[in-house]
Amino acid sequence: MEGPALEVKNLKYSINRRLIVEVDYFDLKKGECLVLFGPNGAGKSTFLRLISWLEPFDSREIYYRGKRVTEKEAPELRKKIVYLLQKPVFFRGTVRHNLLLGLKFRKLDRKEQERRLEKIATVFQIEPLLHRYPEELSGGERQRVHLARAFIIEPEFLFLDEPFNGLDVQYREQLLADFYRIRKFSGVTTILVTHVRQEAAYLADRLAVMVNGRIVQMGTPEEISACPETPEVSRLMGHEILVEGQVVSVENGLLEIEAHGQKIYAFGQQQTGGKVVLTFRPEEVILASEKPATSVRNWFLAEVKELRPLDLMVLVNLECGFRFRAFISRNSAEELKLQPGKRIWAGVKASALSPDQGRN
Amino acid sequence: MSFSEIVQITWLSVIVSGSATILALLFGLPAATFLYFKNFPGKRLVVTLINTGMGLPPVVVGLFVALLLWRNGPFGFLQIMYTPVAMVIAQFIIALPVIAGLSLTAFEQVDPEFLLQARALGASSWQTILVLFHQSRMGQLAGIIAAFGGVISEVGAVMMVGGNLKGYTRVLTTAIVQETRMGNFSSAVYLGLILLALSFAINWFLTSLQQKGANRWRGPRWK
Repeated sequence: MEGPALEVKNLKYSINRRLIVEVDYFDLKKGECLVLFGPNGAGKSTFLRLISWLEPFDSREIYYRGKRVTEKEAPELRKKIVYLLQKPVFFRGTVRHNLLLGLKFRKLDRKEQERRLEKIATVFQIEPLLHRYPEELSGGERQRVHLARAFIIEPEFLFLDEPFNGLDVQYREQLLADFYRIRKFSGVTTILVTHVRQEAAYLADRLAVMVNGRIVQMGTPEEISACPETPEVSRLMGHEILVEGQVVSVENGLLEIEAHGQKIYAFGQQQTGGKVVLTFRPEEVILASEKPATSVRNWFLAEVKELRPLDLMVLVNLECGFRFRAFISRNSAEELKLQPGKRIWAGVKASALSPDQGRN
Repeated sequence: MSFSEIVQITWLSVIVSGSATILALLFGLPAATFLYFKNFPGKRLVVTLINTGMGLPPVVVGLFVALLLWRNGPFGFLQIMYTPVAMVIAQFIIALPVIAGLSLTAFEQVDPEFLLQARALGASSWQTILVLFHQSRMGQLAGIIAAFGGVISEVGAVMMVGGNLKGYTRVLTTAIVQETRMGNFSSAVYLGLILLALSFAINWFLTSLQQKGANRWRGPRWK
């Protein structure tokens, strides 16, 4: 098994003695797309700039294929990395000139430059834009050219800072799909920063969740979604807080939790008597007009409070001693004849609930 | 005044002011680059001095250079007082702060994200500096235009260190002063027109260079 392509240890960065980023360990495997995910202002962009050696730093250890990179070897490593800023800044000249600039920095010969230009223009479908000026392009086209000028370099590492930010929905989906395909094909090791959950879930081979300058959890999106390690991560992953309760018994890891007079089952490592905050994802809640006989452990008789349509789905706000939400399709909502005031059964599997350490 | 004399005077004006401007560019641009990239104690003082220097009175510069080059002055042994070399030195001192100051301003108007993106695309330190020059080209040319315009039209410094020697250190501005004093108004007017035409021609050339770099996209059009 091959070791990580890039490792970062003991990275610290502060401005005016205020710690902005502190990462004990971070690794990047060859060929993967790692999504650095977190709220705005978590230090994601700063982290990328630090590991691309673009900012001075307090301390850090960077390992390339298991070997520590010294300050002297840094320019060598920097040539292997292409980092795209969030804002697509273009240099004076045509799109063509902008695309070739990275290759000129690397002193590639003209023939090779032309070959790559032709290839990348086809792949990104930007041939008609080559002789235009960046100022004349639409936001979506600019973003496409911005991405293309990173791929044309064929770097070993590609660091992208929110490349799909600020695009309208339709264009964003298109570019996301193209990017996914092109990246898979090129196999370039990628870190992509985003604060959009859907984007992270779609692109990530692995996810690193960053909050307040620290990487709080790393793993596949499924792993992190299934067992978020902190309430913050679970909220970021789209989990909503269900209720706070107390563990009354534990059997084979299955917790029996009492909250507002209801019994709730969930899997976790907490002990009897401990307080827990239960979180859930509205997508995983099932609604039924009668209580069915299923393996689902948690059923609550709830009152529909509000229906909020979102795209093709409906968000149903429920009340059953505590607040509860279900995210279901419009068709289901119509079939169940949901309307405010109607009483309905809401079910959620014990494994779909994440118990986090409660505030004691 | 003979035609060949006019040609000689005009030619000397171009050579003296042109070399002073080129020299100022050779020293001013690296100085501005250094000031842009490096932070050091006293940097603000240096920048303030440069900005003050942009308004140096030519007569004061002439006096200062004359004191240095005077036969008994510290550089008197060079024996370049009342030569075109002394005129170039004086004009260089006038042009240097103009070019350094305007270049620095031009650099500071470049969005730092450009440089960061250039580095992030793999530019070395030298290549980053070249990107900075390229991005701020318009401002640089404005500096050159201002500096050349300033030195070709000044009279105080060249008069003091050149001495307005006929056929040797006489340039357009000093010749105009001379002709006016002697009452040869028509010669003075001709020389004045030549100076204006020369200024215009050189600025036309520099402005064309500058506008070539301007973006094709002109922004919102006025109706």
